[in-house]
Amino acid sequence: MSLMECTSGDQLEMVVVPEQFPAGLRVLVVDDDVTCLRILDRMLRRCMYNVTSCSQATVALNLLRERKGSFDVVLSDVHMPDMDGFKLLELVGLEMDLPVIMMSGDGRTELVMRGIRHGACDYLIKPIRDEELKNIWQHVVRKKWKVSKEQDHSGCVEEVDCQKRANDDVEYASSVNEGADEVLKTQKKRRDTKEDDDMELENDDPTMAKKPRVVWSVELHQQFVSAVNQLGIDKAVPKRILELMNVPGLTRENVASHLQKFRLYLKRLSGVAQQQGSLPSSFCGPVEQNPKLASLGRFDIQALAASGQLPPQTLAALHAELSTRPVGKLVLPAVDQLTLLQSSLKGAKCIPSDQSVAYGQPLVKCSSNVVEQNSQKIISNEDVELGIGPWMSKNLATMVPACNIGSVVESDSDKLIGFMQYRQQEKQQKQSMVPEPSRSINVQPSCVVIPSQSSANFQAANSPASVNQNCSFSRNSVMDHKNLQFQPNNSSGVGQSLDGEFKPSFIPSGFASSGSVSSSLSSCSINEDNNACQQVKNPSTTSSAVRQFPRTVPNIPCMQDSYNFKSAHALDQGPVRSPIYVDKVTSIPSRFAVDKQELLSNMNREKFYIENNGNIVKQEPNMDLTENVKVGGPIWQHFPTNDLMGVFSD
Amino acid sequence: MLGFGAERLRADMNRLLALLFHQGVLDEQFLQLQQLQDESSPNFVSEVVNIYFHESEKLLRNLRGLLLDREFSDYNKMGIHLNQFMGSSSSIGANRVRNVCVAFRAASEQSNRPGCFRALELLEYEYCYLKNKLHELFQIEQQRILAAAVRYPPVQHPLNNP
Repeated sequence: MSLMECTSGDQLEMVVVPEQFPAGLRVLVVDDDVTCLRILDRMLRRCMYNVTSCSQATVALNLLRERKGSFDVVLSDVHMPDMDGFKLLELVGLEMDLPVIMMSGDGRTELVMRGIRHGACDYLIKPIRDEELKNIWQHVVRKKWKVSKEQDHSGCVEEVDCQKRANDDVEYASSVNEGADEVLKTQKKRRDTKEDDDMELENDDPTMAKKPRVVWSVELHQQFVSAVNQLGIDKAVPKRILELMNVPGLTRENVASHLQKFRLYLKRLSGVAQQQGSLPSSFCGPVEQNPKLASLGRFDIQALAASGQLPPQTLAALHAELSTRPVGKLVLPAVDQLTLLQSSLKGAKCIPSDQSVAYGQPLVKCSSNVVEQNSQKIISNEDVELGIGPWMSKNLATMVPACNIGSVVESDSDKLIGFMQYRQQEKQQKQSMVPEPSRSINVQPSCVVIPSQSSANFQAANSPASVNQNCSFSRNSVMDHKNLQFQPNNSSGVGQSLDGEFKPSFIPSGFASSGSVSSSLSSCSINEDNNACQQVKNPSTTSSAVRQFPRTVPNIPCMQDSYNFKSAHALDQGPVRSPIYVDKVTSIPSRFAVDKQELLSNMNREKFYIENNGNIVKQEPNMDLTENVKVGGPIWQHFPTNDLMGVFSD
Repeated sequence: MLGFGAERLRADMNRLLALLFHQGVLDEQFLQLQQLQDESSPNFVSEVVNIYFHESEKLLRNLRGLLLDREFSDYNKMGIHLNQFMGSSSSIGANRVRNVCVAFRAASEQSNRPGCFRALELLEYEYCYLKNKLHELFQIEQQRILAAAVRYPPVQHPLNNP
């Protein structure tokens, strides 16, 4: 503090000079209570800030609008007669991206929560002490730092992209799909400052369609694979594939690059198959080096891998499975939902932990009842995600420095587990309908269900507190899945491994509410997809999916970017062989899983979510969730406390 | 003699402040307020407190009006007034006024009309007490400043004379 006192000067340039920094911070104080205003003004001046005080919110807003960029931080009272402080906060957040600190004599939790939800970066309870005001500069720095970090990050992605483009000839570049990444990135940037309420506005963001690139959707990839199969992997040339695929807008270069990757990918898979159980795959190494990342996801496969519970090749297979995952850019952070899901599962049913699950089931079997039921709950679903998503993205932000494959695996595994969970859940529901043990039902010929390993091992490998029995159950399923993925590769070589990999991909695509819906999908998946469309009002093509989402389901974009962040990472990383897949990997299933969890959990929640639907949830989903819990009291009954807290308390 | 008076007045002031603190009328926020007073704004405390009195009287009038005027009192509006009252009272360190405001707000939230009346009366009492005491304090301070101001010439002259 003495630093501040020994300085004068009121320019923002002071920011660069550390010792003089907080001095000259341009603060706008808005309070209708003149007593407080006078005191605050005095206190802020004592802090060597450059203070503008204002007793009316409307005047303050005009000031802010007229003199854009001439304030660093806004201090605003909550109760003001001419304009609610939250409204001002919202407008400021929308229009000028300034840190806003709310103040009120009323420190009741719900009010503070409201402030935070509206995007206040701090909430000071009157009487405000000068100690608190001395510290407000941190919000300015934090905001600036965050923005610059994001810019850095996107720049880095861009750079790597360019590099990639140079290396792999033309990659991604095409008009088949609009730059989904760009969209997501933009949204990520903007979301930090904007209310979710206003997601519709983001639609019109001109930067959204900045860079067109091919997104190899499942459907597209299927076409590609069938073309390759038709030609034979050795004889497949881009030109012929392109002819066979007959997709408008797709260029030979796109196909060539994809084919190249595809070959590498197959090679890698067969290589992994040979090394079964011995050499750590490329996925495993970085994972082990990355305990931090592992701790990000509560259900860290990495942890398993690192502790030797999970053979590396299963991880690879896991990745393989994920590569064929549907492409909807509707990406959700699965981890958090998982916990909820698990807890709901736990609440709903007691699952034997040694149960193994079949993954190759055709979609037809997927009872439409379930999906229909889900579709009724779409609103609540969004809200759950809303609460969770930003938290994820926040955490992801901490991943920035740790750019390596670990993050890919991490995100993938999340999704995989999410998917598994979903399947699991599906099974549960089926169980409830058809009293039939759900052990290893296997329909797809290329899939082999392998008995799961003892759950005790998995339990031991679990570090996070939120893991419960269900969790270990899901681990088993993951295990199974990977084995099942892996088996064909191992035994029958490349040609069959294709089957092994891509057939299951139909299943996820069925659940995907993404834009990957197309006529080329099998009828059963279309069935599913239709339901999905109902739920999210999804457009039927991938390209438009991304852009239309914000319009129809305004809350979704934040999910997208939280994951996009991950995908961007994936793109960053040179060693990743199939970044294109990673890019597209979706955790849609987990979204549905949430649906189901919704279903399972409680109707009360629905009520709450509806009332909460229009609410603005920003960067403090933590808080939000707690609030959810608070408001929708009954939720507690369905989620074991420690589970919830385990995920959201950190 | 006059310098002596200034010292005595300072002691009076401190005694009064101590009493007010002891009674819980004021809290440490008032000390913060005093610390904000310096050469650049020598009358800061009294200035702020006067603003506070002005605002508070407006609020008290409004509150009374809200409670008396209609059959159906606007408890919501009352709550907003009380929030403001709470905010400003706590900002100057008027602890007891603030506490009564909290009780008042609780009563208004329950639409407890008699409770509101009782709280309002208490609030008015507390406010008047605070106002009187602070006025007393400022008066003593004024006298002290005057005493201190006139102290210098007599002190300097006797020094020069011998």
